[in-house]
Amino acid sequence: MKLYEMTASELSGQLKEKKISARELTEAVFARIDETESDIGAYITLNRETALKQADAVDQKRAAGEPLSPLAGIPVGIKDNICTKGMLTTCASRMLENFVPPYNATVMDKLAADDIVITGKLNMDEFAMGSSTETSYFKQTKNPADLTRVPGGSSGGSAAAVAAGEAVLALGSDTGGSIRQPSSFCGVVGLKPTYGSVSRYGLVAFASSLDQIGPIGKSVRDVAMLYSAICGPDKMDATSVRKIYPDFTRSLGKGISGLKLGLPKEYFGLGIDSETKNAVLAAAKLFEQNGAVVKEVSLPSTDYALSAYYIIASAEASSNLARFDGVKYGYRTPQYENLTEMYEKTRSEGFGTEVKRRILLGTFVLSSGYYDAYYKRAKLLQKRIAAEFASAFADCDLLLTPTTPGTAFKLGENTDDPLKMYAGDICTVTVNIAGLPALSIPCGTDSKGLPVGMQLIGAKFSEEQLLNAADWYESAAGLRAE
Amino acid sequence: MEMEIDIKRLAKLARLKIDESRMAGFEKDMKGIVAMVEHLPEISDSGALIDPSAPMELREDVSESKYRRDELLKNAPQTQAGCVVVPRVVE
Repeated sequence: MKLYEMTASELSGQLKEKKISARELTEAVFARIDETESDIGAYITLNRETALKQADAVDQKRAAGEPLSPLAGIPVGIKDNICTKGMLTTCASRMLENFVPPYNATVMDKLAADDIVITGKLNMDEFAMGSSTETSYFKQTKNPADLTRVPGGSSGGSAAAVAAGEAVLALGSDTGGSIRQPSSFCGVVGLKPTYGSVSRYGLVAFASSLDQIGPIGKSVRDVAMLYSAICGPDKMDATSVRKIYPDFTRSLGKGISGLKLGLPKEYFGLGIDSETKNAVLAAAKLFEQNGAVVKEVSLPSTDYALSAYYIIASAEASSNLARFDGVKYGYRTPQYENLTEMYEKTRSEGFGTEVKRRILLGTFVLSSGYYDAYYKRAKLLQKRIAAEFASAFADCDLLLTPTTPGTAFKLGENTDDPLKMYAGDICTVTVNIAGLPALSIPCGTDSKGLPVGMQLIGAKFSEEQLLNAADWYESAAGLRAE
Repeated sequence: MEMEIDIKRLAKLARLKIDESRMAGFEKDMKGIVAMVEHLPEISDSGALIDPSAPMELREDVSESKYRRDELLKNAPQTQAGCVVVPRVVE
């Protein structure tokens, strides 16, 4: 097996036993990037020189016998909306084409303390608005499972890089499914953590009440490793929850005997592709045959979730993106007569079509005369959706659903139809609305050979249970070499 | 009934300039999206929308100097004498 094909936990063991060096591993990942990046297009910025220096520093520390984190020397790719000090952070937008943050996001400081190697910055939908990575200003990322198809989005670069071996692990961000949907399309594992468990400081804001940074990896254990490294309270994020977090790799391997698994019937209805549905139901059967109790539950407000999501997310985006005005950082139009014209031309030239669409929608739902009918109602619905989940979790430990209605679609297939693109988020947005943790894990392939993903949803801060059940499934379904 | 959406007004509020040639496209998209999101149920207002299980904790309001001025200004499109430059705003 090639080094770039191995999981972070396998590589971590080999590094620790000095069977390989961090430099060898980093060189192997960059050799893989040289081989496949022209097809995949996962990266906006490569960090080769610094990465090799970081790897050498890890090797020196190890040689000196210093205690090291399990992630030390592991090459990790970073979504390009997470601020990296001294390294371009573009959000895949012309607006931030030349933006070099003077500070690190909290997650980057944490990963630096763990001596990870940063491979580079990964492509995404512009400002994380999209479900296919096609709204990136810079390039098109392709799905490693089928180069004629999208990798999903908005963390499409992150999922594609991990699937193609161009990074061992990656960070993404998830506002309405942006970690889980591309993980599902590319056949990797992605975790959207409980809102408030990972600091958002230094994550360029899209919808602050929904955004959450999370890990993408080849296995559940890898995702547990990276999540353990990035979670925790942070005084720089007022929504960060003060609590003590365990090492999540220790919560794996506990079995699923007595696990109560709910299947919300609304997630298996109209619009869900039959092959996807069957793959997820087969997974439910496997849980049942091995001692889990599987039962149908209902989340009646699911039908309204997409509407509530697009109202809340766009309202927050229109407000968050007001900061891009060409004054203190980012793009500024070259020709203008006065301040208003400078703002308008800067924003019109700096933002792409999808971003403008969301800003206009957000402006509309917050505007005088419409606020009560749209934004306020959506916020009340948010509360109801959260309450429905809470009552489902009184009966069940975890919920199981498809991650997406179907598998990866063709490049360009949905770009002219925003409504069709938005409809694909139906299974994932509810989780963000309710602030819950959820994980996407591969559960087979469809007749075209494309990866199908299933989503496990837990109550707030139930990541230990969530990761343990997913890890059990990965092993029971024969998804990993034991 | 289909709702009228004044794209020009929204664009002005959002400080965006939409080309005349693209106005119809945006209007069509927005009408479709608004039609999708407008069927929300009437819910009686009950209490605050803040989650009591996750109270926010604010930092103490003290100033700290973590960054140098020249570091922060490196990203500014136009600077002069340690300040950002904008078009004249007073007559």
